[in-house]
Amino acid sequence: MRTLRPYLPVLVLGVLLALAPLFVTSNVVLNFLVFTLTVALAAQGWNLLGGFGGQFSFGHAAFFGTGAYASAIWQMQLGFDAWTGFVAGTLAGALAGLVIGFLSFRAGLRGSYFALVTLAFAEVFRVLANSSEVTGGAAGLLLPLKIGAENLQFADRATFLGFVVALVIVVLLLVQWIRGSRFGAQLVALRENEEAARALGVDVLVVKLKAICLSGAITAAAGVLYLQYFLFIDSGIAYGTWISVEVLLAAIVGGLGTVLGPVVGALALHGVGELAKSLAGGLPGIDLAVYGAVLVVAVAFLPGGLVGIVRRRDRPRPVRDAAPVEGEA
Amino acid sequence: MSIFKQTISRRTVLGGGAALGASLAMPGVLRAETPKTIKIGILQPVTGNLAQDGELGRTGAEHAIKFINDNGGIASMDGAKLEMVFGDARSTPEGGTAEVERMKSEGVVGIVGGFASPICLASSQAAARYDLPYIVDVGVSDKIVQRDLKNTFRFGPGFGTCSETAIANLVKLNEAAGNPAKTVVLVHEDGLFGSGLAKLMATELPKHGFEILETIAHPTPARDMSNVALRIRSLKPDLIIPSSYYGETVLLMRTLQQQRVRPMGYYSVLNGAASNMRFVKEFPEAADHVMDCNHWHDPRKEEAEALKKSVEDAGGLWAYNIPLNYSCVKLLADAIDRAKSTEPDAVNEALAASTFEKHVMPYGPTKFEGGQNTGAAPVSLQVQDNAIKVIYPEDFADAKPVFPING
Repeated sequence: MRTLRPYLPVLVLGVLLALAPLFVTSNVVLNFLVFTLTVALAAQGWNLLGGFGGQFSFGHAAFFGTGAYASAIWQMQLGFDAWTGFVAGTLAGALAGLVIGFLSFRAGLRGSYFALVTLAFAEVFRVLANSSEVTGGAAGLLLPLKIGAENLQFADRATFLGFVVALVIVVLLLVQWIRGSRFGAQLVALRENEEAARALGVDVLVVKLKAICLSGAITAAAGVLYLQYFLFIDSGIAYGTWISVEVLLAAIVGGLGTVLGPVVGALALHGVGELAKSLAGGLPGIDLAVYGAVLVVAVAFLPGGLVGIVRRRDRPRPVRDAAPVEGEA
Repeated sequence: MSIFKQTISRRTVLGGGAALGASLAMPGVLRAETPKTIKIGILQPVTGNLAQDGELGRTGAEHAIKFINDNGGIASMDGAKLEMVFGDARSTPEGGTAEVERMKSEGVVGIVGGFASPICLASSQAAARYDLPYIVDVGVSDKIVQRDLKNTFRFGPGFGTCSETAIANLVKLNEAAGNPAKTVVLVHEDGLFGSGLAKLMATELPKHGFEILETIAHPTPARDMSNVALRIRSLKPDLIIPSSYYGETVLLMRTLQQQRVRPMGYYSVLNGAASNMRFVKEFPEAADHVMDCNHWHDPRKEEAEALKKSVEDAGGLWAYNIPLNYSCVKLLADAIDRAKSTEPDAVNEALAASTFEKHVMPYGPTKFEGGQNTGAAPVSLQVQDNAIKVIYPEDFADAKPVFPING
C-alpha cells in the first residue's frame, strides 16, 4: 500500500478525467477538453525536462512539430496507418530530443544558453518545414478525413477524448514512477546542483539525454494528437512559438516540477479563459486578457504554482523544499 | 333568477363569447406576426493577427442579415428572420474549430466565413461532422474544395483562378504599354498564400518574357522591411510583385517610398492592403497607383454601390471582405429559401444546385462543381486619385490603367 500511495493523486485525477467523456455530452466542452489535455500532455513533456531536470527549453515546438509532421508523412507519403504513425511520431520526437540534446548538452549549454538554442532549433525546423516539399511547404499537410478507429479518427469527440485521457493518465503514471526512481533522483540532483551531482557519480550527459528524449517523445505524442484531431498542420502551427509558450506556461502556472502541475495549469489557464469568454459574450479577446491576468497573478503570488497551494496547506513548509517530495508518503 | 338576470345578460354572453373566440385566435395571429428566427453562424477571426479582416467580414455579414430581414426574411419559411451567432476564430484553426462546435450547440443551420485558409480547412471539417453547410468567404487554398466534403462551398475564386487571371492581366497591361517591364522582384510572406503565389509567379512569368531577379520571403508579422527595400533598390526591377498581408504590405510600400525606390509599377496579387481603403486613406502617397488582382464588388450593381455607401456612411472602410461575406450570407439564405427547410442535407443540396445571382460580386449566377463556384473570378484594381478603381476586365472597368508610373 505504501508503494501505491504516491500514485493516489494521479489515480484520483485520472479517474476524474476518465469519467469526463461519460458524463459530458456537450461537444463544446469535449472539444475544449481535447485541446486543453493535448496542451497538458505536451506540457508534461516540457515539465519532465524543465521542471524536474531544470533544463528550461523555449523551443518544445521542435518536438511537437516533429511528432505531427513525422506521423503525417508516415501516413500520407509512406502510406502506413495512423496507429503506427502515432508510434513513429512519438519516436521521431525522441530522436529529435536526442539530436538536440546531444548537440547542446555535449557543448555544455545550460540555463539561458540552452533555452535560446532550443528556440533556435524550433525556428530552424519551422523554416525547413515551410520550404521543404516533403512537408508540403507553406501549404502544409492535410490528412484526409476518413472517420474510423483504424485511422485514429473517431466519429464522436467523446471517444477521442477518451483516447487523450488514457494517454494523459499513462504519462502521469510514468512521470510519477520516474519521480520515485533512481533516474528521477538523478534529474533532481542535477537541477539542484549539476557539479555536485557529477561529483557524486551521476553521468550528467546521459541523464540529460534520457530526459530530453523522454520529454521529446511525450511532447511529440501531443503533436500527433493535434494532427489526428484537426487533420491539418503547417509550419506555423507545428513549429510555431505558440506551443512552446503554451507548454511552458501550463507547467509554470500548475506547478513546476510536480506531477499534476501541467494538467492542472493547462485546465486552469484555458478554463478561466473560456469561462471569461462565455460570460463576456461578444467582447473579442476577453479570454486572452483573462489568460494574461491569471498568468501574472500565478507568477507573482504562486511560486509553487496551483498545485503548490494545496501542498502548502497540507504541509506548512517552504515551497522550494516541498517541490521534490510532492506525493510522497 | 333575478340575480342571474342582473349579472349575466345575453349581451354579456355574446360579448364574452366574442372575446373568448378572439383570444383563442390570437396565438395564430401572433405566430404570423412574429415568425421564428433562423440562426446562422458567422465565423471570423476578430482577435489575433487577422483581426482587421475578421471585422470587415463581420460587417459584410451584418449588412446582409439586415438586408434579408428588412426585405421579408426567408419567404418560403413564413418570413423567418435570420439571427447571427458570431464566432471568433482567434486567427487559429483550433479557435475556428471550437467556435464551430459552440455555434452548432447554439443551433445554427449553416456557417459562413473563416477568412484564412488554415481556419477554413479545420472549421469546414469540424462542420462536416454534422453535415452543417459551410460557405467559405475568402480562403484561397484549393485544398479547401478538394476534399469531397459535401457541406463545404466556396463562393469566391481559389488560388489557381486568381493567379491565372493575375498573370493574364499583367501580360495584357504590359503589352498595352508596349512591353516596357522586363524584370521583376517577388516579395512574399512565407506562409501558405504568399509562398504558393510566389512559386507560381516564378514559374509562369518567365514564360511571358519576364525575368525574375529575385524572390524575397519575409515572415508574418514582420517589423522591419529596410533590408528588403534596400535589396530591391540595388536590383532596380521594373516591377515589384508583393504578396503579403496588410501590415507587411503597408510597411514595405512605405519603406520603398522612403528609400526612393521607383519601379514602373507595383502589381500585387490577393494583397492584404492594396485593395483596402484604410491603406489608401492613411498612406495616400505610398498607395498611389499600386495595382492588385483581388476579389472586388461589381461596380455595375446598384446593390453593391448602396452597400458600399452604407458602410462608408457608418464610418467604416471598404474592402473586399465586405461584399464577399455579404454575398455569402445571401447565398446561404437563398439556399434555405429554396430548400424550404433548415435540414443540413436539404440546404447542402440546395447550395450544390444553386444558380444564385442576387449577389454583389462580378461573377454571374453561381454554379458549384465539387464545392467551388466555377464562375468566380478576381479583377485587377489600381489606386487612382485616392480611390480603388477596376482596371480589368474592360467590360466593367471604371478606370484606365496608369502604367508605367515611373517610365
